[in-house]
Amino acid sequence: MRWLLIRHEIILLAILVVALIGLGFFNDRFLTLDNLLNQGRLMTEIGLIALPMTFVIITGGIDLSVGAIVGLCAILLGYSWKNWGFPLPVAVVFALGVGTLAGAVNGLVITRLKAPPLIVTIATLALYRGLAEGISKAHSVRGYPESFYWLGQGEALGVPTQLWVLGACMLVAGVALDRTSFGRTLYAMGSNEMAARFSALSVDRTKLIVYALSGLMSGLSAYVLVSRVTTTRSDMGLGYELDVVAAVVLGGASIFGGSGSIWGTAIGLAMIQLLKNGLALTGVKGDATIVVIGVVLIASVLIASSLERRRE
Amino acid sequence: MKKLLLATAALAALALGSAGARAAQWDGGDDLPTNPLACGTGANPAPAAKAYDGGQPTNPANKAGKEITVVDVPKLIGIGYFNATSKGIQDAAKELGSVKASTDGPTEAKIDEQIKFIDNYITRGVDGILFAANDPVAIAPVLKKALGKGIHVVGYDANSTPDAREWFVNQAQFNGIAKAMVDNMAKEIGEDSAFAIVTSTFTTPNQARWIAEMHAYADKCHPKLQWLETVEAQEDNVLSFNQATTLINKHGDKLKGLFGMTSVATPASAEAVTKAKLCGKVAVVGLATPNAMKPYVNTGCVKSVVLWNPVDLGYAAAEVLRAVVDGKLKPGATEVEAGKLGKLQVVNGSEILLGAPYIFDKENIGKFDF
Repeated sequence: MRWLLIRHEIILLAILVVALIGLGFFNDRFLTLDNLLNQGRLMTEIGLIALPMTFVIITGGIDLSVGAIVGLCAILLGYSWKNWGFPLPVAVVFALGVGTLAGAVNGLVITRLKAPPLIVTIATLALYRGLAEGISKAHSVRGYPESFYWLGQGEALGVPTQLWVLGACMLVAGVALDRTSFGRTLYAMGSNEMAARFSALSVDRTKLIVYALSGLMSGLSAYVLVSRVTTTRSDMGLGYELDVVAAVVLGGASIFGGSGSIWGTAIGLAMIQLLKNGLALTGVKGDATIVVIGVVLIASVLIASSLERRRE
Repeated sequence: MKKLLLATAALAALALGSAGARAAQWDGGDDLPTNPLACGTGANPAPAAKAYDGGQPTNPANKAGKEITVVDVPKLIGIGYFNATSKGIQDAAKELGSVKASTDGPTEAKIDEQIKFIDNYITRGVDGILFAANDPVAIAPVLKKALGKGIHVVGYDANSTPDAREWFVNQAQFNGIAKAMVDNMAKEIGEDSAFAIVTSTFTTPNQARWIAEMHAYADKCHPKLQWLETVEAQEDNVLSFNQATTLINKHGDKLKGLFGMTSVATPASAEAVTKAKLCGKVAVVGLATPNAMKPYVNTGCVKSVVLWNPVDLGYAAAEVLRAVVDGKLKPGATEVEAGKLGKLQVVNGSEILLGAPYIFDKENIGKFDF
């Protein structure tokens, strides 16, 4: 029975392996450990946000403000360290706290005011981005101490540091979704929210938690990003929401809620990143790469959904 | 209780946001010192000589005299300015015969995308990288990685931090551009008027430096010129047009001049002024390619366009890279031989100066085609 549940992920994995072998054939530098680990480093920022986004999409909602929260947390990290004199660890915790708060505001508005998540998060997207621009007044913050860069640019046992963080978060998220009642509540809410409410599941509290988590992971992603590029900019995170949703939906989560898994999201994430990288290494120019990614996304979703339909 | 917390948080956020948004004066955002030139046509002090401060590649392969593959990663592809620099690079490659150059980059001026492009080319293994940075500090780690792998790195148009590249080809001194722009604006709108600026983003290195120098020069030599505001337009055509139109509507009669700081913002501002039927009443002065501005200069809507020759800029960058690979340009040099451009001066330690800014106007704009 388990096999039926993870069928979509198996198909995706197969497509990914085929693509990898194909691209590796065209370019001998693609399948080197160095390159693959580097790609892991670069996909961490999107990956961290894709985990709670999977939760959000499973409940039938969506969070489009994640990119703006990344920008806001990045700015506040730098600003509070440089202008308000917080010690760097405190600044990091402060930025994470702001991210969680921003996500919680999303959750509160969605649950209390019963507004559609799409509308709410589009509004907060503009709000948080505007806050980031206003607070920073367009100044970047630079000149962090060397120790700060270990998360974004360092390595532990030969693997990029942030990849360890991503791996750990993925494990926790995957176990939470598959094995805990919290995870089952998410699926129940996504399948039929009314029924979930009447089954005495704490729907509102769960929604609040997933949106707050979304904000928290956006803050963590901001921390990794600032550590990797050694500066803060108010336009950080611009466009992240689209990449994150693409990875989650490619991984098999239905946009209407009720299905999806962390493992699928992980495969979707890896596929997009490795395709972009493999194509670039093969010599495909930037604008053509975007076209190919779009075609592959459509093809994967079509193949997977037609196989699902045939199974039914 | 929860509703109260929510309301308080929302209000606090609004207050904080709008307090920040009231920022009036903006000084260039990068906190580096400015150095305004003398007013009018007074003699300018020669820039002080500085020790070489660029980075060096680790164990580069010795390709002196041999063919090299070079990739050019500008801020973004698909706009006239970087099409022109790319043409210059190709011209130099053809002339030198031993350089295979290609241009590749993001379709939007985003630093994160640019970093990924450069990273991929490092993995592919090129001999040299030419770049125009979207952010001077953010691009430094990936450029240092390139240097660490023995790849030569030369920048043009928009600099990175000095230790992340070997040389930087500067189109003109920042204060020279500032002087040309502000003097031309003052000539058109008079000393006692107000202007606004449309730029790319507040953190783009070259625009930030130009605006900082423009402020310093205007404060020094045209103190009665009033600066209204600076807006961002991300190198996007539609956004530039919208921002310019918003400025015209917002400040009404008070606005007498618009500065366009990018080759996208200037024609868009000229279009906005034309559409608002304010040609002759609102002056547009800015940096742009001649082709984009020909319609506006020919109708008399725009009197002067400040630029340098971006084709020459790309050409010089490619020549410098070849000279570096051949060992003809070493740290500490004071000048470099750059093909048809002759000898170019080294200033500021590791910057190579293309020359003085060039003013395009009705008389000469017809002669150029880029």
